[in-house]
Amino acid sequence: MLLDLHTHSIKSDDGRAKVENYCQWIKAKNIPIDGFVLTEHRQFDAESDYSDLAEKFGLTILKASEVETEYGHVLVYGVTEALTQAFDFSSIELSLERVLEVSEAHGAVAVPCHPGRPRVGMFAHTEELGIPKGVKIVEIYNGGSRDKEDQIAIDNAQSLGYLGVGGSDSHIVSHIGRCATRFDDAIENIDDLVAALKTGKFEAVTLKESV
Amino acid sequence: MSITSISEVEFGVDLPAFEPDTSLETASKFATLVGWGGARFTDHEAARKEGLPGAMVPGILSQGYLVAMIHNWAPSAEVKSIDTVFRAAVIADEKHQITGVVTDINEDDKLVEIDITVANEKGETRVFGTASVQIP
Amino acid sequence: MDQDIETLRDEYLNQDFDEKSFDIDPDITIEYARLCGETANRFLDKNDPDFQAPPTFIASLSGGRSLPKGFPRFGIGMDAGKGVECFSPIKPGQAVIGRTHLHDIYTKTGRSGRMVFTVSRIEFFDQAGTHLANADSRIVMREKAK
Repeated sequence: MLLDLHTHSIKSDDGRAKVENYCQWIKAKNIPIDGFVLTEHRQFDAESDYSDLAEKFGLTILKASEVETEYGHVLVYGVTEALTQAFDFSSIELSLERVLEVSEAHGAVAVPCHPGRPRVGMFAHTEELGIPKGVKIVEIYNGGSRDKEDQIAIDNAQSLGYLGVGGSDSHIVSHIGRCATRFDDAIENIDDLVAALKTGKFEAVTLKESV
Repeated sequence: MSITSISEVEFGVDLPAFEPDTSLETASKFATLVGWGGARFTDHEAARKEGLPGAMVPGILSQGYLVAMIHNWAPSAEVKSIDTVFRAAVIADEKHQITGVVTDINEDDKLVEIDITVANEKGETRVFGTASVQIP
Repeated sequence: MDQDIETLRDEYLNQDFDEKSFDIDPDITIEYARLCGETANRFLDKNDPDFQAPPTFIASLSGGRSLPKGFPRFGIGMDAGKGVECFSPIKPGQAVIGRTHLHDIYTKTGRSGRMVFTVSRIEFFDQAGTHLANADSRIVMREKAK
């Protein structure tokens, strides 16, 4: 099963895509993904319900968040109401280690994203701040990567023994599905996704040439 | 192929792409025209001294190119809104490509949404955004 | 949201801080259109019955100030994006009034300090008070680490 683990909708301040248009695009363009995860910036969108769209288009549509720490941006999968109370998702000064620790304590999984990117990627900070404790997975394929950002992510992940996921980081409709993550097991809901991430049975995939 | 009516617009269709004139000469003329005659738009060396990789194409010129692409595709289109995010500098004298793709059609309101992108030769997105246009 | 940003939002958002009259020069709008690659007569020919400024032309117009008086300068500002919303065509040869307000303020991660984003909106009106268009400018200021 192929899921784009990193997308943004109009709910994100720099997102320009409506979720229904994502669905239409995936089907019209035969984008080879089975679904996607909305990872809105600095918030968890508890209100929106995409189950009708998911059923209509035969896609898995899940919700997660992208938060900001001293090591850059981090995707959080398995957000619960309790987790949103445990730290301020809107803060840009979170501690990565705390986000990782608290997420784990609440059954969620936190994944530093675009770690090879200047300023907002984890590996841009490790020389100064050290290797953070608790990281198990990082995003090694990001659809918005420039220059050697993905290679930096891959090389560092390999040397540190991290697993890798992929996501498009799409902010507009036509960028969805550029990168994704392949899972061995079927993913129907966020609990399935979190469980799959914890088992390590997945592989990051880049589809940039084919979409 | 030009579009004359919204009924001809298909979801997911690519607008005819074009390679804009991102020469320093044009960027510089444009910057001067709009009163932005600073070194960052007119001189590579001076721009580098400001910490930039080279002289830039002004963001609103990139936006103008995107709209020109839309007008070339659908001459009767009226741009209702366009919103562009500048992710990285468009460097003058480097080749770029402008692309657009239809991502929503509202036949009742005769509105078409288009994803727009400016990318460099490596395919890296420098500017992205959306435009909403009315086509009769 | 950071408290200082909340305070700035309460103090500054949605209050006009600048008003300026712009004479829309047809020769400038034509050259603007030409440099952007426009080919339609309505942008290039003064004699066209529908002669008008290209839709993004208003994004090039600046008011007397880009930020309200007293608004803190967090650092050097860079252009982060532009938006234009068109309600009616801008006709060259006429004067339009632009009124500016701060439309949004928000922050994002920066490696050494915050990045503070401001969105300034100029609303353009003709002499009769008809709202013609809006132009949004997103500026990012990289704040130095304390």
